[in-house]
Amino acid sequence: MSGAAARLAPVLSSLAAIAGALLVGGLFLEARGKDAVGGYRLMVERGLGSSFGLTEIAIKAAPLLLVGAGLLIALKAGVWNIGVDGQFLIGALAAGVVAPGLSGTLPNAAVLLLAALGGAVGGLAWATIPALLRVRFGLNEIITTLVMTSVAINLSAWLVKGPLKDPDVVPPQTRLLAKAERVPDIPGTEVHAGLIAGLVAVAGVAVLFGATVPGFRLWVLGQNPRAARHAGMDVGRLTAGALLASGALAGLAGANDVLGVRGLFQANWNPGYGLAGFALVYLARLRPLVVIPVAFFFSFLLLGGDLMSRARDVPTQFVEVLEGLMLVFFAVAVALERGRWPHRRRSAAVEGSPGPLPAQASGEAA
Amino acid sequence: MTPTTTRTIRERVASDAVAAADPALIEARGIGKRYGAVRALDDVTVAIRRGEILGLLGENGAGKTTLMNVLGGMTAPDAGAVLIEGRPVRIGTPRDALRLGIGTVYQHFALVPTLTVLENARLGVGGPLARTPGAVERRLAEVGRQLGMDVPPGAVVGHLSLGQRQRVEIARALVRGARVLLLDEPTSALSPPEVDGLMATLRELRARGVAVVLITHKLGEALRLCDRVVVLRQGRVAGDLDADILDGDSTVAERRVVDLMFGGSGVAAPPPTSGVPADARAALAVRGLVVRGDGGDAAIRGLDLAVRAGEVFGIAGVDGNGQTELADAIAGQRAPSAGTIAVDGVEIAGRGVGAAATAGVGYVTGDRIGEGSVAAASVAENLALKEVGSGGEGSRFWLDRRGMERRARAAIERFAIRAPGPATPIGRLSGGNVQKVLLARELARVPPLLVCHQPTHGLDARTARDVLTALRAHADGGRAVLVISSELDDLLAIADRIGVLVDGRLAATVARVDVDADAIGRLMVGGHVSAPDRRPA
Repeated sequence: MSGAAARLAPVLSSLAAIAGALLVGGLFLEARGKDAVGGYRLMVERGLGSSFGLTEIAIKAAPLLLVGAGLLIALKAGVWNIGVDGQFLIGALAAGVVAPGLSGTLPNAAVLLLAALGGAVGGLAWATIPALLRVRFGLNEIITTLVMTSVAINLSAWLVKGPLKDPDVVPPQTRLLAKAERVPDIPGTEVHAGLIAGLVAVAGVAVLFGATVPGFRLWVLGQNPRAARHAGMDVGRLTAGALLASGALAGLAGANDVLGVRGLFQANWNPGYGLAGFALVYLARLRPLVVIPVAFFFSFLLLGGDLMSRARDVPTQFVEVLEGLMLVFFAVAVALERGRWPHRRRSAAVEGSPGPLPAQASGEAA
Repeated sequence: MTPTTTRTIRERVASDAVAAADPALIEARGIGKRYGAVRALDDVTVAIRRGEILGLLGENGAGKTTLMNVLGGMTAPDAGAVLIEGRPVRIGTPRDALRLGIGTVYQHFALVPTLTVLENARLGVGGPLARTPGAVERRLAEVGRQLGMDVPPGAVVGHLSLGQRQRVEIARALVRGARVLLLDEPTSALSPPEVDGLMATLRELRARGVAVVLITHKLGEALRLCDRVVVLRQGRVAGDLDADILDGDSTVAERRVVDLMFGGSGVAAPPPTSGVPADARAALAVRGLVVRGDGGDAAIRGLDLAVRAGEVFGIAGVDGNGQTELADAIAGQRAPSAGTIAVDGVEIAGRGVGAAATAGVGYVTGDRIGEGSVAAASVAENLALKEVGSGGEGSRFWLDRRGMERRARAAIERFAIRAPGPATPIGRLSGGNVQKVLLARELARVPPLLVCHQPTHGLDARTARDVLTALRAHADGGRAVLVISSELDDLLAIADRIGVLVDGRLAATVARVDVDADAIGRLMVGGHVSAPDRRPA
């Protein structure tokens, strides 16, 4: 029958969503009087046709892979961690404080590892409050994680303007790490080792869900929380675990950007990886190994957005428009796909299409 | 007298009566409705006259609710027609039904709790009523006066009692001009005084010429209130009782209705079991159990139960009398608010699913799709759902996929599960095969106490027999089995003893050899066992 067509459908929907977003995004540009075709050509020529472009893509892919790995864990378990940006910022701030604070007291590798750990703990801590509220009181994590992001943006800005500010400079920021103190490059490249952390994280998630008992339980929870409870699984612990792991990886992504790229944490800096993470993880159909190429593609888009904004005077927010459009087109494509292959309807979740919203209060213990 | 001849004679009598009186206000004629292989309604003809209260009785699955949904515009029939005052009408949507003057009051009310009574009454009102300012308000006041309603129009619905909400529902239907009122199990959520109030309201409506259809399984209430009773059985009209019988001796009327509801079910002789000695070890001992339902009200209200090793104990009863809550409590999925549950002497009440499973409880849930299985997971994964990581054969951390597949192959063979293979998603299997997977999952652990809720619901006859045979065999191996089923035939086929669950309590416990379907049926609908039926079990 249409077995092959049914297998191809998810790939086609994802590609159609990307194409649709690029097309409509291009129309926006044209409507604003910009040359869309020229802009896209610039993205491809400078992004893919130069070693500078390829290096930049690899560097920018690292935080996307880390955030994507965290979102995979949460979303596969049916936990909606909307607060990636907040966890990212707290993680980044923690790394930006720990690394200069320890620098010189320990070997540089140890400083970096402790700072990375600090970043992960920061992100995890930021996810703890929504996790507790969800498990103890059944509060919807969509709301709490979202609200926690607003708190994180303002709290981190205040901290870096006050108590954690580098007193030797005027702008509100942590002390700048010297180039030699940052994450070293992968030998033979100009790409720092954060990329390896990102790839390992995604591979780890693939193993978690493919071959381990905790991964299986998280997946069952995401597929049918009532069945998880019926089978005697500790639904509260699994929910909290998914949210905390997701937060820790977001925090690690923050540490990656501070320790590998920027060397410091600045007030009001927010790269907004949360939206990119959601778009890329859904376009990859919640499949860990598909997340890797999609992360590189999103990294290409981010770089392209930078290039276009410099060369063509396109607003930097254009990439966020593209990400948002992709999510919208993806939702439409999935709806169409389900209509066309109705026999797949019940098993559609296998392919990692957006699952139902988490049931209110389904996480409480008996 | 066989049911078939009963039906033919009665139908003719009924249709003669209809022809003689003024034409029915509303008539369902020759209605048929299939769901897959199940005939929910088969050539059903029912007529309701102006100023009449008609009771629609029948077991679960007899077709009562389907018929009501057809009249209310929720379900399109496959065959037949609905006539209003002799004229065929098309009821495609609930809105059509309202326009034609058919109002429905569902078991679970359809009011918006945060709005006031008046605002609820205004919802969805169209036509001149909506265009005239204050019209709904005036109609509501008028209807309220007629019904003697004690609810101010400004009251927020969420603050009202269930009985008050129901009166608001009825008033809302009348505001919209309902001439026919359909009520689905209207007394199930009400306290006894509220039931009396509802009856008074319905009598008042009858006096004003409204036709009332009352769907219920409570025999006593139907006999007290209704002018006529139609009994559905397996989607067909099994017969009806008119005022002559209803006004006569109530035990005679009761017996007739039970005959029509349950009679002639063709169950074979008692099961070939020698019976379990009364002093056998109690594998399950439940004392003073109180369990709240999802709504917060007590669904199990002080239940005592003992199931012995080697015995199948059946719990009979109409759905919604606490079955799910009882099963959930024993399986550790619901914490009781009072009482004890001991399995082989180990107390497990309120200690969670893990404690219950460790103590020896296996649980085949009545909600196979909703909580028993994960549709997207394979047969092998579903079979391993409860044991995975428990340290039995595989590792606690690594998933033993090879072992899962091997055990799945064995289960597929042993239980004749029709699945292409262990890797097939369970969502692609038929209901009967899903049930076999669930049963295989529990039996693989050889639980000293197996609880099985709705073992044969939606299964074809052969699969149902296989499932029942497996349950009986489990008990014959010296384990205890608790079967909770609204299908009386299941229990009569395999149970040693049967307890009848009514309103969260066991109304009676009888030995299988002492009873027949009629006796249990009477108990299920709130009647009593006559002396010869009852013997201490």
